Amino acid sequence: MNEVEVNEIERSGLSKFTDNLKSLAATVFGSVFRNGSPNSDKARASAIFNNFFLHIQGTKTHINTLRPSYTLGLGLISFFLLVIVVASGIFLMVYYNPSVENAYQSVKNIIYVVFGGNVTRNIHKWAGEGMIIFVLLHMARVFFTGSYKSGREFNWVVGVILLILVFVLNLTGYLLPWDQLSYWALVIVSNIMQSPRELTDSLGITRFFDVGTFSREFFLAGMVPGKESLNRVYLFHVMVLPLIISVFAGIHFWRIRKDGGMTKPDAFSPTVSDSGYAVPPAKTAGIFPTHKTYGLMELARGKTPSVDKDIENMVFSWPNLLIAELAVLMLTLAAVVVYSYYINAPIREFANPLIPENPAKAPWYFLGLQELLSYSAFMGGAGLPMLTLFGLFLIPYLDREQYNVGTWFTDRKGKLIAFEAFVISTVLLIGILVFAVNFGWLRSWFPEIPQLVITLVNPGSIWVGFIIVWSLFVIRRTGSTRMGAMSLFVMFLVSYVILTYFATEMRGPNWGFFWSMSQWPIH
Amino acid sequence: MTSEHQEKETVLSRRDFLATSAFLTATVAGFGIIAGFFRFFKSDVRYEEPSVFKIGKPENFPVGTARKLDDKKVFVFSDDGGFYAISCVCTHLGCIVHTSDNGFTCPCHGSKYNTAGKVISGPAPRSLPWFEITQDVDGSLVVNAGSEVPSGTKVKYS
Amino acid sequence: MYSRFYLSVLLMSGLVLVTYLVLTAYDGVMPEWKHYQIEYKELLIKNAKDDATRTRAQSMQSGLRQTYLAGLKREDRCVNCHLGVDNPMMADAKLPFKKHSGNYLANHPVDKFGCTVCHDGQGSATTLESAHGKGHGAHWDRPVLPLEYVQSSCAQCHDFDMLSKNGGAKVAGGETLFNEKGCRGCHKVNGRGGSLGKTLDKVGSEPIAYFSMKHVIGDHTVYNWLKRHFEDPQNIMRNSEMKVSLKGSDSALLTMFAMTLRSDEMPKQYRDMKYTPEVKLNGESLYKRYCIACHEDGTRSLYNEIFNRTIPAIRNPAFLKAADDKTLETIIKEGRKSTQMTSWKTVASGVSDEDVKNIIGYLSEKRPAEKYEPFPIPMSQGEPNNGKNIFETHCSVCHGKDGRGGEDRLGVSLRSPVVQKMVNPEFLAATIRDGRSGTPMPPFGKDAIGLGDKDIADVVAYVRAFPK
Repeated sequence: MNEVEVNEIERSGLSKFTDNLKSLAATVFGSVFRNGSPNSDKARASAIFNNFFLHIQGTKTHINTLRPSYTLGLGLISFFLLVIVVASGIFLMVYYNPSVENAYQSVKNIIYVVFGGNVTRNIHKWAGEGMIIFVLLHMARVFFTGSYKSGREFNWVVGVILLILVFVLNLTGYLLPWDQLSYWALVIVSNIMQSPRELTDSLGITRFFDVGTFSREFFLAGMVPGKESLNRVYLFHVMVLPLIISVFAGIHFWRIRKDGGMTKPDAFSPTVSDSGYAVPPAKTAGIFPTHKTYGLMELARGKTPSVDKDIENMVFSWPNLLIAELAVLMLTLAAVVVYSYYINAPIREFANPLIPENPAKAPWYFLGLQELLSYSAFMGGAGLPMLTLFGLFLIPYLDREQYNVGTWFTDRKGKLIAFEAFVISTVLLIGILVFAVNFGWLRSWFPEIPQLVITLVNPGSIWVGFIIVWSLFVIRRTGSTRMGAMSLFVMFLVSYVILTYFATEMRGPNWGFFWSMSQWPIH
Repeated sequence: MTSEHQEKETVLSRRDFLATSAFLTATVAGFGIIAGFFRFFKSDVRYEEPSVFKIGKPENFPVGTARKLDDKKVFVFSDDGGFYAISCVCTHLGCIVHTSDNGFTCPCHGSKYNTAGKVISGPAPRSLPWFEITQDVDGSLVVNAGSEVPSGTKVKYS
Repeated sequence: MYSRFYLSVLLMSGLVLVTYLVLTAYDGVMPEWKHYQIEYKELLIKNAKDDATRTRAQSMQSGLRQTYLAGLKREDRCVNCHLGVDNPMMADAKLPFKKHSGNYLANHPVDKFGCTVCHDGQGSATTLESAHGKGHGAHWDRPVLPLEYVQSSCAQCHDFDMLSKNGGAKVAGGETLFNEKGCRGCHKVNGRGGSLGKTLDKVGSEPIAYFSMKHVIGDHTVYNWLKRHFEDPQNIMRNSEMKVSLKGSDSALLTMFAMTLRSDEMPKQYRDMKYTPEVKLNGESLYKRYCIACHEDGTRSLYNEIFNRTIPAIRNPAFLKAADDKTLETIIKEGRKSTQMTSWKTVASGVSDEDVKNIIGYLSEKRPAEKYEPFPIPMSQGEPNNGKNIFETHCSVCHGKDGRGGEDRLGVSLRSPVVQKMVNPEFLAATIRDGRSGTPMPPFGKDAIGLGDKDIADVVAYVRAFPK
């Protein structure tokens, strides 16, 4: 040390400068990344800890989290899809022009004359719609492993908000090509927004409280999509909603850390397959203590959720977790690119407000609603979706049992209850649809019936009523709120899937029933 | 963790063919995507006046003509030596020059060119380029603003 | 175990990703049109006659081309494949390299007009299927016009007069046919015509979705719909009231004309229209334009199955005897309620008063100078009761007991406002006595069936006493 100091003094300023120049690359690199290639426990920990992008993850990860069969990577896939969508979206913005005159042509230009434009557009479209599927699947995973419990209640709520945002982002993007398909889908959706009018009209309070027209005006600046709608839908799609979803996604991830990481079964024991990590779990704990101790967080919260939990089954995140994440990223990217290479995102004729597509359908993810809407505009458009969202928000607060958190389906009984709900809801829902298709509904029998009766009593509201009653019945029978929630959630998923499939495949021109799309009369 | 253990592990991971090839492919894919993105930004089509354009039959440009074609940003001259076209875009910062007493003057920063387009004063770094003139099958003259010819190249057509 | 699993996933998907990135890049570098450009270049080199052309051909750069037409708000990329369109050496080459036929390009250079202005199709597309825009999958409303109908585009900028002399004979013929078949009797074009049928402005540029293609054989395009429809309207639209059935070449001509009716107006600098003052049409041409579709030549009354009524013979001398010019003008201008005869006032049909007068002039050419032989006794003071007996004996066979005429009877309704209001008793009497030539109405006078003047006066009185 002394020698160095002496040298420093003796050397002239210029040679110091040339030395700095020589080591420039190393010092710049070091100041950015702080660590070299991590090959000690401490270095591995700090590789995560000191990195802005990685520090949202723990320096160590529980083995259970790394099991592919536990998370199925669904949340991560959703996040990577978001990244892909944002990236491809920025590139589409280079050529897209949000004006009624040019929008359609600029999309055609992206398809025809931009290098890789068609595939980029497909990637954006399919990754965006893939998010709906994977966010829903992720939600199902979180639900069935009971991961909305023990301090994670609010994060479940954030997740539901993210689901809504994904829906709205997809919807706003749907209008932008300004072709027949998107135009008429938006007309349908704007009418769905208008649907609270049915109730306010029946109650005679539309004059004072017209929430339907308000939301429609807010979203579309008019009764039908037009010049200004395109502008503001574009603004929502590329600016407002992405900002909001980034913030909520950030909160979602941050809460995972603060709520103690992923859930894991209480009685976790590693199996044979839990071995062979790039860096094996440190049994002796090395420089780290054997039990999680108090850290910085205690200043604010007294105790972190992990304090006193064993760290025996923890492995270093670097590189174990990062390899897993990279693999999922690459898998997602590859799947999206392959799908987009073969399947083109649809584009129809230039939007024509005078010729409706027949059938005019909402985007597929809203078709379940459109089916309900065909029974009652209010119930399908506002009543039932609101009720569903409320139900989803409240699930973690109404079911507070802390038993077997982190285990798929909780236990054997849970599996049975879920299976039972699956079978019952599939059979009954199909039965109701068959009935409604064959025999019609109240208005077909009593043409003079008041609208309010139909609003309240229709296949959609009866079905939702049944789901609620059944769940309450399950709670009474099993004495467990978790089991009731299980039935409720399974039936929600089954309804979404069946109604969406039914309205996509079996509803043709004039919303008539067809066994498949190939049976539609030629138009 | 002992140092011996660490060393063994490093050797192991270096030899791990699977890891190496996996990361290598990922890197290749990453660079591929980045390259694709740069290519994506390069627009293949132009929404501007074509650089090759017809200006009319030779008869329309009798000897002594000096005409500025405003929309094409080019001067067309005809003298005893033949036809020639000189760009009217200043080589300094792209303003449009106008004819002055003995040559061209740029209104923006005062660059001056002589009648052949050679810089005589001002900040312009280069002379005004001369463009190729050819004759189309139907007899009309064609200026190719994408193809420069040496200063003083005049062509005769009839 | 898991790190191996994840690494294998990483490797596999990485390899798949790289493969598909390469495929995508290849598609970007070698799109469909690139193959045509390579083939064209080879063709150029092969056909080069001297070294200079060969060198020029060898230096041909391949790349995306487009004709950007700011004035026409379009960019045509057809020239990416139709490369030899203005190259005289390509006169005998195969498509898509063939030179444009005729010398149209001399006056319509590609860099000023592009291609889709005349040929339609999706100019901005760069693949064959979507550029030609044919078929349902292309989702394009204006597919490439077949050569048969291309002339309809000429009429966007040129007048028919000029076209008929300069190679546009077909489309000009279409216009003549349109006027002579009396299409305007039911259809308005430029605000002029009847109001029974659809207004035809823009019909040539309307989206395919406007047309029911269910019964159309062949291409599902607007022009094919129009052609089939002119051949047999009821076959395409079950409840069509259109009365036309044209044969092959005529229906093609009329289709051509219909395709000229487009909504998008060409910018001024492209148009070459002579706005000559409108030619004064004589009565005959006007009659053809507005009346002939229903009344045909007007000498015989016709039973129309679709209208389910008899169309009067308006150029029949007997009819004209009854209707003086004033009556004719009233009927033409006001129309006849509850019949297919709509009002032809200027505000309703766009036909000027002068033209109506000309038509009336043309109709009255056939009116006999002498109206009818006068009656010795006044015809307005008959005895209705006696008239009733005679009516039931002689007239009710055709006109019905109640005088309403009727669907399967030959006679017209005697209760119609025309008979009751417009026609004077003398004329009715003359009709009964002398009959009406050209109609089933026979004479009933002394020389024929034997009704005396008194009897005729009684019948007239009975008929005029019908409740309205």
